[in-house]
Amino acid sequence: MKKKLLALLLGCTMVFGLIGCGGSKGESEAPTEAPAETEADAETEAPADAETEAPSESGEKFKVALVYSGFLGDKSFNDLAHDGAVMAQEQLGIEFTELESGEAADWEANFVAMADAGYDLVIGVSTQFLEIMEKHCPNYPDTKFALIDGVSEAGDNVVSTLFAQNEGSFLAGAAAAMFTEKTEIEGVNDKAIIGWVGGMDIPVLHDFYAGYEQGAKYINPDIQILQSFAGTFTDALKGKELATAQIDQGADIIMNVANITGIGAMEAAAEQGVYAIGVDTNQDALYPGHILTSMQKNVDNCTFQIIEAAMNGEFEGGTATYMDLAHDGVGLTDFSVMKEALGDQFPQDIVDKIEELKEKIASGEIVVDSYEGYGKPAN
Amino acid sequence: MNDVFNITLIYATIRSATPILFAALCATVTQQADILNIGTEGIMLTSAFVAVLTSFTTGSWLLAIVLAIVSGIAIALIMAVANIKYNAHICAAGIAVNMFALAITKFGLKQFLGTAGTFTSPEIKEIPRIHIAALDNIPILNDIFNNWCVTEVFGIVMVVILWFLLFKTVWGLRVRCVGRLPMAAETAGISVRRMKYEVMIISGVLGGLAGAHLSLGYSQMFADNITNGRGFMGVAAMNFGGMNPIFVWLGTLIFGFIDSVGARLQAYGLPSQFILMLPYFFTITILVLAMWRKGRLSEKAKSAL
Repeated sequence: MKKKLLALLLGCTMVFGLIGCGGSKGESEAPTEAPAETEADAETEAPADAETEAPSESGEKFKVALVYSGFLGDKSFNDLAHDGAVMAQEQLGIEFTELESGEAADWEANFVAMADAGYDLVIGVSTQFLEIMEKHCPNYPDTKFALIDGVSEAGDNVVSTLFAQNEGSFLAGAAAAMFTEKTEIEGVNDKAIIGWVGGMDIPVLHDFYAGYEQGAKYINPDIQILQSFAGTFTDALKGKELATAQIDQGADIIMNVANITGIGAMEAAAEQGVYAIGVDTNQDALYPGHILTSMQKNVDNCTFQIIEAAMNGEFEGGTATYMDLAHDGVGLTDFSVMKEALGDQFPQDIVDKIEELKEKIASGEIVVDSYEGYGKPAN
Repeated sequence: MNDVFNITLIYATIRSATPILFAALCATVTQQADILNIGTEGIMLTSAFVAVLTSFTTGSWLLAIVLAIVSGIAIALIMAVANIKYNAHICAAGIAVNMFALAITKFGLKQFLGTAGTFTSPEIKEIPRIHIAALDNIPILNDIFNNWCVTEVFGIVMVVILWFLLFKTVWGLRVRCVGRLPMAAETAGISVRRMKYEVMIISGVLGGLAGAHLSLGYSQMFADNITNGRGFMGVAAMNFGGMNPIFVWLGTLIFGFIDSVGARLQAYGLPSQFILMLPYFFTITILVLAMWRKGRLSEKAKSAL
């Protein structure tokens, strides 16, 4: 049976690879269709000139490939990168292809297939592509590569961006620590216990946790933080089980850093009448009134900027951009959904304190801990 | 440690055991007729999607369960026809069905619900919970017995029904006879094919319930591959219980218990990798024990001759 499975898996990989190549050809053969679409969209918008110019200059569109270590529809990291690419399509007139896979075995094959297919820019979306890029990028010196959420030293045809998830998580931890004291709000108990549910036990998640813990302890040094890893980013039910266990143990606000698994964690919080914190994208409206805020990584802007720079010849290979609080790369949402749900009961002091902490971090007055290998790169 | 082994652990065990229980029963009934139903996963996944889709569009959880069962039967029949009529190997049919379910639900999510990855909505009507007001003020009983999901109760009822059907009725005797020695069954005038179709349909019903419970009872959402191997764990529990619904139920309770304890222990700083290993570790241990027991029983049977 093992052999059969392996054969099936290999078969799938091949088919995926073929689809990848086929898709890209199909698109480059039919350039008349796509611009018509973007033109129609942009008629009312100002940058219409820029986008009709760009393709006509080279006669051929700038081709971008995005490779994901997961699927679109996570309402999180991957979807944001997709949004950034769509934004670039509308405003800059690029064309892009996306390859999704949840299987670690496919990531490398997908990545190499895109690098082989002659794209101008290949973006590895997520830190999982770090090693794959280091192995393969030097073989394609004429292709530009970008890694989102990690620092790659693969060569001078690669740019990296790194998010200061620890700084954003610091704010989330501080907000959680203050919120768990607000016993007048329904569902908040008198125990100073907060929760944290992560996906896979990988270094970048520890960077999230380091900030969360420091932020919570900055507010209340005696606070207890329950930490769990689901071991997967795709099992919502596992996330629900872990969050429910934390709630049974007294947590009344739980941050998720777990993609689809995290949606289960937030459902558990909503079902049990307690609270959760979203991650990566604005998840506040997913369970209105139960998501205090979300720690956002502005992956969409980041993706857009990478594409824009590469297209305009401002691509500086070998460098890393650090998207921190000062650069608006991370941050919390504006609490508006929660404000509406709680009305007068909404603890405004949390928002004020968060603003204050944000300035302190941006100015360097508070230095947020980071996990080994993360934090501001040296260059 | 009081936060780990407290009274809420009892219900937590039932809660995490139920999805596996339905899956295990789905595999049990076919295994009695000597059909290894690894398509349990696919049956569950498809019906979980159908349940959410129906509940969301019609607002009726009952109709959602009914249609989930219908879709479960449909998938089970694909396997039944391939295996019984066209002699395809049941494992191949099972793998095919599992892959088909992954793809068709992904497609359905995009096509009918207009999203990808996960689907949640307040308009999904969940399977109701049984709230007994009289228990509200009795601390321990309230924690254990109140607010059970209807399907969680039904799962336990189903164990008894299935046990009765298999071991106390003529029909059950025939099914087991088909499983042990089909030629003898045929000689005795039992239609083997017919019996096999019947158990596949029943397994479709149970698999449908498993899926509906997963997406409308245990949670109120659909996500890609929401089953995540729970069907296979059901097959493992079936092996552990030696095809006897009562022992199978015990097996799923052990899984549920380990899962719940693991979820709580993590918060106390044990390495997550170790905790996450536990269910699989116990699955293997349990299977080894089950095989050992089976081996001894068959030796005994031989020496009795």
